Amino acid sequence: MMKVFKWSFVVAIFAWLYLPIAILVVNSFNVSKYGYEWQGFTLKWYEKLFHNEQLMQAFLNSLLIAALAATFATVLGTLMALAIHRYRFPMKAAASGMLFVVMMSPDIVLAITFLVIFIALGVELGFWSLLIAHITFCLPFVVITVYAQLKGFDRYLLEAAQDLGAGESRIFRLIILPLVFPAIIAGWLLSFTLSLDDVIISSFVTGPGFEILPIRVFSMVKVGVSPEVNVLAALLLSISLLLVTFSTLLLRRKY
Amino acid sequence: MPPQVKNLIKPLFSFRRGVIFLTLFWLGLFVLVPHVLVLVTSVLTPDPQHLAVWPVTLDSWARLFDPLYVEVFWHSLWLSAVTTVICLLLGYPFAWILAKLPGVWRGVLLFLMIVPFWTNSLIRTYAIKLILGNKGLVNTLLVGAGITDKPVELLYTPFAVIFGLVYVLLPFMVLPLVSSFDKLDRNLIEAAHDLGAGWWQRFRHIILPLTMPGVVAGCLIVFLPAMGMFYVADLLGGAKNLLLGNIIKNQFLVVRDWPFGAAFSVALIGIMAALMWLYFLANQRINRQGGLDDEGI
Amino acid sequence: MKISSLIVTLFLTASTVLYAGEKVVVYNWAEYIPEGALEAFTKETGIEVEYSTFDNNETMYSKLKLQKGKGYDIVVPSTYLVSKMRDEGLLHEIDHSKLKNLSNLSISLMNKEYDPGNKYSIPYLWGSTGIAVNSKEIDPASITAWADLWDPKWEGKLLLVDDVREAFHMALKKNGFSTNSTNPDEIKTAYEDLQKLMPNVRVFNADAPREPYLAGDVNLGMIWSGEAKMAQDENPDIKYIFPKEGAGFWIDSFAIPSGAENLENAHKFIDYMMSAEVAKQTVEELGYSTPNGEARDLVNEETRHNPVIFPPAEVIDKGEFQKDVGDAMQLYNEYWEKLKAGK
Repeated sequence: MMKVFKWSFVVAIFAWLYLPIAILVVNSFNVSKYGYEWQGFTLKWYEKLFHNEQLMQAFLNSLLIAALAATFATVLGTLMALAIHRYRFPMKAAASGMLFVVMMSPDIVLAITFLVIFIALGVELGFWSLLIAHITFCLPFVVITVYAQLKGFDRYLLEAAQDLGAGESRIFRLIILPLVFPAIIAGWLLSFTLSLDDVIISSFVTGPGFEILPIRVFSMVKVGVSPEVNVLAALLLSISLLLVTFSTLLLRRKY
Repeated sequence: MPPQVKNLIKPLFSFRRGVIFLTLFWLGLFVLVPHVLVLVTSVLTPDPQHLAVWPVTLDSWARLFDPLYVEVFWHSLWLSAVTTVICLLLGYPFAWILAKLPGVWRGVLLFLMIVPFWTNSLIRTYAIKLILGNKGLVNTLLVGAGITDKPVELLYTPFAVIFGLVYVLLPFMVLPLVSSFDKLDRNLIEAAHDLGAGWWQRFRHIILPLTMPGVVAGCLIVFLPAMGMFYVADLLGGAKNLLLGNIIKNQFLVVRDWPFGAAFSVALIGIMAALMWLYFLANQRINRQGGLDDEGI
Repeated sequence: MKISSLIVTLFLTASTVLYAGEKVVVYNWAEYIPEGALEAFTKETGIEVEYSTFDNNETMYSKLKLQKGKGYDIVVPSTYLVSKMRDEGLLHEIDHSKLKNLSNLSISLMNKEYDPGNKYSIPYLWGSTGIAVNSKEIDPASITAWADLWDPKWEGKLLLVDDVREAFHMALKKNGFSTNSTNPDEIKTAYEDLQKLMPNVRVFNADAPREPYLAGDVNLGMIWSGEAKMAQDENPDIKYIFPKEGAGFWIDSFAIPSGAENLENAHKFIDYMMSAEVAKQTVEELGYSTPNGEARDLVNEETRHNPVIFPPAEVIDKGEFQKDVGDAMQLYNEYWEKLKAGK
């Protein structure tokens, strides 16, 4: 009985999360441009998308930035969580305060401050400025997630390691890293998601040479968001599902 | 390299120092310096041509005390709080169930949970509108099943706003929670069970305290960003209420009163920091478990 | 479009290698240009187009302002920003002698108050803000004026565009004032009028006003002409009405920022976009109006006779173009915040 209840809860949550995406996938095959009703099956949006080089490029740029930003933010954020948790250093309170400031600052404020600082530093707007900004706004999410995990575990373990003469970097690699690994994965996923969907900050800090998807999609409202974007959603979903199936099969064989 | 030199250099370039330097350097350059500039801007005089000019004035700060803004603040706070609570109520049991699954499946389900959020938020919100609208999925079902005879107004109501916010923020609650359930020691729970502790007692005295860091982390990364969010509320709620995010964005972009926008955002950060500080203080008094830090944060 | 090309772009952007060939950097709305036009331009002139997009005028302005007019060769601001950017020295004067297609543009949209002599801006597309009605639910003949929206029978039924100036336009016009009024008394009167309108509002929409009409969530309210055209393509029952007090008009113009690096190419680009053939394509594809008189003779019957796209002359005469209102913006916004907060 409990089991039935439990699983129907999980299924309900997933159904809720996937319902909007299912609508988008259905509409990617819909003749109707705005998808209020089913007007027939078509592949024209798929065809249009594959010929829309600018949109495809923006999509790939977005994936690239999100993957890089998430990875760097995770590395940097994990180290920061470690520093805040384990070390004493001057300005430590200020450092943790700054992380909260990033999380609380409205996007528009972050956007303008990043732009001002990039102009002051002479960083050309484009790939690098975008990457730095994305890493920075993802950082607090990683730090908080990893920190919560660090907090829970046994300090004696680390002290024992220290007494046995292990250096800091060894302790980090051999003990801390494996213990916080689930949190690191969680932090990466959060960062990737945040980065993939940012509009306001990105539109301020990117330059003409490097367009990303969210800006393009939001900019399309002037002429009506094209169903090609639904196609992108459908593609991303299928790729993710393929990836999951594939890796599950692979892992299963290993066990 | 002679060992003496090595020993001299070693403490200078240790792992610990590297990490600390990196932390302070990055946060200092990309967060502290820009936000000091925001603070300075907040006491300058607004100017439509040059955005902000000397002399120093506290006018922008004085304008913050307008009762209108106080109201907007409470409204935003209320919206974020409700969203956080619902996320927690849904996310906690969900994370618990996921965390108990065998490794591979837990990973798969967590991944599947986040995948919908890789789709652009604008078109995802459009899809939610297609669900909640007068001729949307829900109303079609309700009317079709004869439960109501005419469509229920769901879209452009506070319900739609909360619906959208919870949708957007749920994974941010679940992810940190799942990793905190990882650390739960099954033996401890079984021991409590053997000693005759009931379900509620086990939950209240063992499970909840042990997962508290995860709860705090999840609530923080749902609540704080929700305070500045306005996009979801505008699209699904019909933009009939102002939120803090709207006001700040309008001040910077439409009115171009940068000093006021800056003052507003500094004040927001200050109030939230004070609230959090009070929370952690109270938390430390009540029990030593579960705060985010004993010092610092 | 290969991963390898992606990596190449990555390193190109990374290392500030200057592109060897001729180029022009355009900052505009996404897809706000007919399909294939950029490629055709490159083919004809050998100039590569770097097309960058913004999602509102204000972002574009702030970015140019902070970068002191550098970074782009062509921007596409709306009327009210043209005068502001010019006054702040953010725009470069346009050399009319380099634009052989300039004569294609119709006189009625040139030489307006916001930019006398069109020294800094060349009109690209234009449109209006009027009233949308779903004729299946409401008789379109019963709605002729902005004032009709104030009728108490529309309680909780209207759509308004989520924009201060557009909302005040209705109320100012209803009272016989200019949409660009900076007179505090007039603005206050408009505010008090809007207070009475608020109970009628179901939704403020900022991104795509056609949407709630198509979804059947509202049947009456404000809409932009281009959006109305898009809505009609999907559902012909949605009618567009020019209110008799005067619709709001806007023009999106090409302008050259003061820090533009490829001046010559920027002129060539503007000239190309003004050719009758390209302008014809633009109107037919985007559904906004063109100032290009030559193109009007080329477009298909249906488009030419669509009053949403080519409104009658008397409608244009009655309407008004938005200008920057300077300090008064502060006042408008204060009232707007109050209205939104229910005061």
